Amino acid sequence: MSNPDGPLQQHHFLLRRLHSLTGIVPVGVFLIMHLTTNSTIAWGGLNSRAHGDGWFDRAISTFQHEVTFINEAPLLLLIEVTLWVSIAFHSILGVYYAMSGKPNNGSYKYGGNTRYLLQRLTGYFGIFFIFYHIATLRWGWSFLVPGGTQWSHEYASSTLAAALQGSTTDGMQASGIAISIFYFVGVSALVFHFANGLWTAAITWGFTISRPAQKRWGVVCAGLGAALMLMAWASVIGFATLDYDKARAIEESMLSGEEYPAELHDETHAETAAVEHDNTDG
Amino acid sequence: MSDAEAHAFDADMRRVNRKKAVEGRSVIFKIKRCDGPGKPNRWESFKVPVEQGANVISSLKLIAANPITTEGTKTTPVVWDSGCLEEVCGACTMVINGRVRQSCSCLIDEYAPLEGDVITLEPMSKFPVIRDLWVDRDRLFNALTRVKAWVPIDGTYNMGAGPKESPDHQQMRYALSECMSCGCCLEACPQYNKEEDPEKWDTSFVGAHAISQARLFNEHGTGKRLKGERYDALSGPGGVNDCGNAQNCVKVCPKGIPLTESIGAVGRGTTVHAIKRFFEGKK
Repeated sequence: MSNPDGPLQQHHFLLRRLHSLTGIVPVGVFLIMHLTTNSTIAWGGLNSRAHGDGWFDRAISTFQHEVTFINEAPLLLLIEVTLWVSIAFHSILGVYYAMSGKPNNGSYKYGGNTRYLLQRLTGYFGIFFIFYHIATLRWGWSFLVPGGTQWSHEYASSTLAAALQGSTTDGMQASGIAISIFYFVGVSALVFHFANGLWTAAITWGFTISRPAQKRWGVVCAGLGAALMLMAWASVIGFATLDYDKARAIEESMLSGEEYPAELHDETHAETAAVEHDNTDG
Repeated sequence: MSDAEAHAFDADMRRVNRKKAVEGRSVIFKIKRCDGPGKPNRWESFKVPVEQGANVISSLKLIAANPITTEGTKTTPVVWDSGCLEEVCGACTMVINGRVRQSCSCLIDEYAPLEGDVITLEPMSKFPVIRDLWVDRDRLFNALTRVKAWVPIDGTYNMGAGPKESPDHQQMRYALSECMSCGCCLEACPQYNKEEDPEKWDTSFVGAHAISQARLFNEHGTGKRLKGERYDALSGPGGVNDCGNAQNCVKVCPKGIPLTESIGAVGRGTTVHAIKRFFEGKK
């Protein structure tokens, strides 16, 4: 804040409010959509239109269907670049603003002060996490992925599972556990950052003034945060524990235009038939 | 521990301490000392007998009368600032056991109930030290001029009676008017940093007290004439946008002023002001 004539000072209000706004639109809204899509790996079994006999088979095909849908979106690169620029803007200004504060949580152990510190720490960590996430899974910097695998939108579940597990067909590796924990902490940090940022943004813009209003909006933000947190955890756990070979088989069949791989179908169909047979006997 | 629990815990602890206070005891004051601006800090301890109802200021008077440290060295009397001695002037604000508050209302029984208990005194860290516990709060008052925290009544003719005021509105403004410019909200604020160079005061964070005073005078029937100028000042560098929403200010305010509500209200005011200026403003 030393140079009173610098652009940061001249457009102080605009930049501050744009920083607040970009955290919600487009970044926050994208976070909600992104976690909704990714968590289909946990709840996609509910999708009755998905092909597959088991819960997770339907989840894999639902997730693949969603990813294919997004990849066919018009002007996808423009949407992506908008997001990247918004995230970069929010990050760079956020770090600059965060550096202007001096946390004093040792002396003043209030809940609000803890959230103030967490907002800054999750911001720093979130930048690091998002960069790794985009660099490895979108820009294909596979040298940063244990096992060196590439993510592919045609094999969305299996290649994501490989990135989290550190191997393709060999299951979870030690390096995969590290990456999965990194993802778990990363998504938790970002969900907190969004929910808490939504709460403080309401004060910044002047939506919530009275303390009861701030408390009520706090409950709404905490509720949204809790829901997003569950979706985020479900996504990470879902892909970290995914069966690579099975996901691959389902994706192959979807690519070749079949609805569901015959061998999986037969197997599970036989099991279901057996259960039904037992039931008729009983 | 939630804020309410922490608050109850603090109040409980003080009540318990008051009950177990030992009569005729002496306690130790560990004081951060400094001989003048730019001079190095040092810590000195003093053993002080506790009189009935003693507070930090009465204990500092005993130290001044007999400035001998626990090591037996004779030293200079400890300097402090104080005024009303009833927690309404704000002059004696200091950091006691790591937290900011007025020293005149700080009872020894609540903080050091047993023989040899230690109380730590430090000057506020966000203002330049003049000497020992006495700080220069000029920047705090400069912030009030930045936001024009007054009612403009100077003129060449009689402006007549003031506007009518409803009891509800009066109650709301009364709470804000209790501010005594003590500096607690600034000392506890992680966004308010020490700035010794007065040249930089106008672009550093104004702090919760000035934001709340701007709201007080915006709510005044005549004072609201300067609303636009106040919002201009609070929209710029060091204005309300520099708030980090840690909300320590409202927790440490000795007058219980709803500072975070003022920050929300001024946030709304600057938002509307910016929109109006975008569509109507000439600059």
